[in-house]
Amino acid sequence: MITAKDLTKKFGNFEAIKGLDLHIQAGECFGLLGPNGAGKSTFINILYGAVERTSGDLSVLGLDPRRDSREIKKRLGVVTQENALDESLSVLENMMIYCAFIGVPKQERLQRILALLDYMNLIHKKDALIHGLSGGMKRRLVFVRALLGKPELLILDEPTTGLDPAVRHLLWGKVRELKQAGTTIVLTTHYMHEAEVLCDRLVILNQGIVTAEGTPQKMIETHTPGFVGIFALADKRKLLQKENLEITEDSSGLYIRANSMDELTRLHSELGLTPLQIRPANLEDVFLKLTGKEITLDA
Amino acid sequence: MLESLKLCLHITHRNWMVYRKDLLANISPTVADPALILVSLGLGLGSFITNVEGMTYMEYLAPGLTVATALFTSFFESSYGFFVRMTFENVFKAMLTTPIGVKEIVLGEMLWVGFKGAIMSTCVALVLALCGLMLNPWLIPLLAIVGFLVALPCGAMGLIATGMVNNINQFQTVYSFIIAPLYFLSGIFFPIDQMAGPIKFVAEFFPLIHGVRLAQAIFWNREIWQTLLSSGSILILQSIILCFMGWLKIRRKLLN
Repeated sequence: MITAKDLTKKFGNFEAIKGLDLHIQAGECFGLLGPNGAGKSTFINILYGAVERTSGDLSVLGLDPRRDSREIKKRLGVVTQENALDESLSVLENMMIYCAFIGVPKQERLQRILALLDYMNLIHKKDALIHGLSGGMKRRLVFVRALLGKPELLILDEPTTGLDPAVRHLLWGKVRELKQAGTTIVLTTHYMHEAEVLCDRLVILNQGIVTAEGTPQKMIETHTPGFVGIFALADKRKLLQKENLEITEDSSGLYIRANSMDELTRLHSELGLTPLQIRPANLEDVFLKLTGKEITLDA
Repeated sequence: MLESLKLCLHITHRNWMVYRKDLLANISPTVADPALILVSLGLGLGSFITNVEGMTYMEYLAPGLTVATALFTSFFESSYGFFVRMTFENVFKAMLTTPIGVKEIVLGEMLWVGFKGAIMSTCVALVLALCGLMLNPWLIPLLAIVGFLVALPCGAMGLIATGMVNNINQFQTVYSFIIAPLYFLSGIFFPIDQMAGPIKFVAEFFPLIHGVRLAQAIFWNREIWQTLLSSGSILILQSIILCFMGWLKIRRKLLN
């Protein structure tokens, strides 16, 4: 569906993407993770020709975005990072304009819009003006917009940023349904849990290169296997008595990784610690391990 | 090609849909401004200037004000208006996810600007004709063409400015140092022939002066077709060159 070979993008002297190799299969949900400025959005924009690549090979739906961006764009839908809806127009007017842009036949437009509004639980707002909608409603409407063209490939650029948990779960459900119906999905997100829940495979980008790749489970097993215990900062002195213990500290607590839950509970009772949380390692641990160092350097 | 043109028209239509939401507030200043100038300068200053090329000062001012409307409506639309759509509303980012490309955005916006210029010039001409300042009011439809032909290159100048500024405040500089001086030197307020050679030379490069000549020919009903041919073709040529330059500038902004 998407194949990139040694893809690069330079903005002046700044190299946003430095030799990216990726393959995204038809029908999968593929996640792009990485800190701000890692090159996620740049890559996504290159996919449909909104940014021109500097060098490398790229095939999207069997076409080259440099030459055939219009053909590619007829077959994909994008949930853009910004809503970019016309605030003074109604929900229906906004969608009608996009139907025209996408080339939906006139007689089908209304029907298709109403069906999608219904699907996204927005049908009761069809005549409302955009500036009267809540953030969650606007986001759902952007999903409607992206689906108007019945896309084979759906790009979700930080689809749930700033949304409450209820809306987020609703959207996750919809994304899963779309995937089951055969839509290929490319997702960027800063929510590791979201990536873990939705993605079949993912990559972590950092400073324009892929630093890790695989299924969420595989990545956790490879980079941060086992369990994580988080203890109160006040316990630092007690923990330092123990040798061979790797402690990561941040403002919220002391992080200790172990192969089993037992090791952590034993440590807890042995030293009389105040455990904040003991849990299996997750994608956030992987993310912080792989990209954390660079963040502190930049800051 | 046909698909491209259709997309341009959809963009024009989108702008019209947004614009008409506040139609009265949008159109009234465009018509009120020339009326204000006509009353203050035409009646006020006009009582001292009794004869400009054989007519009253009001009669002399009328055609120029008609096309000046097209200049302002087009320049502001493609500078401030385009900039806001591009930077704050992200309209084009969303458009670029559809089959629309930068070419269609630029052409669609220019069509919109031309259309606005035509409507505004016609509205102003109607008011002026009602005041008895037009010899043959049946020629008003011709002023729609003039409005369109002036709005295209002037709008393209706004687009070029949009491609060059770093923030929205810099448009004020473009306006004060380029648009406003040329507005005053385009033969609207006094015959340009009396100005010094170099000023005349520079003014000839500004689309407005050709539009003013055209409007004057139509308002005063003299040599209409010759002027349409000569000034009209200059305006078309300027439109093509400036729109192309605007496309190059905007392309760099939108594709990065």
